[in-house]
Amino acid sequence: MAAARPALKRAIPSLRSTFLLPRQQQQQPQCHHHHVTISRRSLSTSPSLRNDTQSTTTTTTPDRETHFGFSTVTESQKRAMVASVFTSVADSYDKMNDLMSFGWHRIWKDHFVSTLNPGFAPLSAPSGPSSPQHILDIAGGTGDIAFRMLHHAHAVNANPNVKVTISDINRAMLSVGKSRSTSLPASQQAALSFVEANAEDLSKTRALTPILSQQEQTFFDPSTATGGIPDNSVDLYTVAFGIRNFSDIPAALREAYRVLKPGGVFACLEFSKADKHPLFNSVYKEWSFRAIPLIGQLVAGDRDSYQYLVESIERFPRQEEFRDMIKDAGFTVSGEGWEDLTGGVAAIHRGMKPRV
Amino acid sequence: MASPAAVHCSGAARRILLLPTTVRPATRSLPGRLPAVASRSITSPSSTSRPQSRPTPKLQPPSSSSSSPPPRQPLQTRTYHSTTHPPPPGPFTPAETTLLTTALAAHVPTHGFTLPSLTLAARDLSLLDISPSFLGPSPTARLIHFHLYTARAALARLATQHGDLLSGGLSVSEKVELLTWLRLKQNEPVIQHWQQALAVMAQPSQVPTAVRELALLADEVYFLAGDKSVDPSWYTKRGALSGIYAAAELFMTTDKSEGFQETRRFLRRRLQEAEELGGVVKSVGEWVGFTASAGVNVLRSKGVRI
Repeated sequence: MAAARPALKRAIPSLRSTFLLPRQQQQQPQCHHHHVTISRRSLSTSPSLRNDTQSTTTTTTPDRETHFGFSTVTESQKRAMVASVFTSVADSYDKMNDLMSFGWHRIWKDHFVSTLNPGFAPLSAPSGPSSPQHILDIAGGTGDIAFRMLHHAHAVNANPNVKVTISDINRAMLSVGKSRSTSLPASQQAALSFVEANAEDLSKTRALTPILSQQEQTFFDPSTATGGIPDNSVDLYTVAFGIRNFSDIPAALREAYRVLKPGGVFACLEFSKADKHPLFNSVYKEWSFRAIPLIGQLVAGDRDSYQYLVESIERFPRQEEFRDMIKDAGFTVSGEGWEDLTGGVAAIHRGMKPRV
Repeated sequence: MASPAAVHCSGAARRILLLPTTVRPATRSLPGRLPAVASRSITSPSSTSRPQSRPTPKLQPPSSSSSSPPPRQPLQTRTYHSTTHPPPPGPFTPAETTLLTTALAAHVPTHGFTLPSLTLAARDLSLLDISPSFLGPSPTARLIHFHLYTARAALARLATQHGDLLSGGLSVSEKVELLTWLRLKQNEPVIQHWQQALAVMAQPSQVPTAVRELALLADEVYFLAGDKSVDPSWYTKRGALSGIYAAAELFMTTDKSEGFQETRRFLRRRLQEAEELGGVVKSVGEWVGFTASAGVNVLRSKGVRI
């Protein structure tokens, strides 16, 4: 937790100042020239956002349009905005998840992990013990999925031969995960590693470095990379409530395909569409568009980040479309290719990299 | 669809218009194939419209239509049996089929319908221990569903090979008995694990799949037996067979007799009972119908305005 504090303090001052947080008042922007033109009022006037945007545009290739909630922005702008959103919410992330979903996100995550069954190996195997299993948890930030994976592999399946890499573009989120991981058993901590990476290009990574000053940018800059994730090196690629925020989802899926071994499994837990049940869906939509931004404002002091959250859920492709995107990346799916949770509020998509 | 005559005319028109001769063979080959297609009603939604004289043409899809189906379409489903079109591809993708077939053939007889069977099959195919988890929330239920599906699909092939069914000397109810028995016999290699499989498929999350497969099986049996009923007995026949099949399947898991002869006798007794019961219900229905209309007519003759 302590490591995340500085990041929080410098997080999007104007986002907070819009909503009655006096301590941020003195940090109001001094000038507003030539920054991005987007429709969300407070995000467009954030000085920290503008800085972030400029530094990313220098490192990324052609900027195409994508969306940020209901606004249309360029990919690099979205990257910076998502970075600032998550920097801003890192500290209260888990508390907010509980409040927004009535704690139900824990059930989803437990189900996600136990159905993937990491570390399982048949006792009667004639070919001896299995090779080590490498799990890559993308956008794993606070470690929710990774810690469950480790527990399932080490404690439930009694297989210590499983290691987990948590990757996130945002150091503030990773730092929260890092500090939470200190309460794990030592054997599990030893099997855990943290890297900063952009999921759209996993050939450039950097081990997590602590955030020392408030001036440092909290999202990963590929030019500072020290390593990379090689081809065909991962058994299980998971991304839970993360892929929605990616600027270029097909690129991320192609990277997943690249790093997975043949036979490796891609698994994605993400919010989805519940419109098969109109009545339930209308209640759910009321809750997400009215209550969640309000809870965000009251609890995390940050309405706009949670407004973005619900808008990005709305913009995310339907189950079928996302399944087709996964197939387009080269994966093979089972049956219809996804599993609805809670009537489709969330969905798990699974795919396997076939052996060709 | 163009009628054969129209196609034939267009073929003639092409010749008159002196189109390149390379076009002709393809165009002219159509009328030869079309009459067989056009003479049957392909719009009929009845699942029972297949004449018995034509043994399962749906099993041999024309080579032209079996080449790669459009990739972007959702899995095709059809709610009726077609005599003119190949069956839809089914709910299993090719990669799944490979893995599940290996597991079913090589490991299920030893390890049962369990995750180790799937993991060992994945190793056989040089995949990873984690690979079976792409099969969805319950890989073992998927494996059992695959067995149910392949056994049902195999029934149509068996029906074309079985002499008694081809000879045409059997009545519909005798064919139903024989086909049900052929289906039951397909559980033989895995019979010691079948109680376990039934337990998995009885879990609430699997009940819809299990019930659907059972209904499809009953429908398949009556279709292959050549039943052509289009009255409410369409439902009662299939409902009764579903119940009898499920009971016989359970009976078979504890049957120690030679060649499961006790199971076959059990099946015959149950079908016999269903037929007798059906006869009774039918007779009662006829009596009630006759008496009611007679009663109405008596009242009418007395001047009651009904």
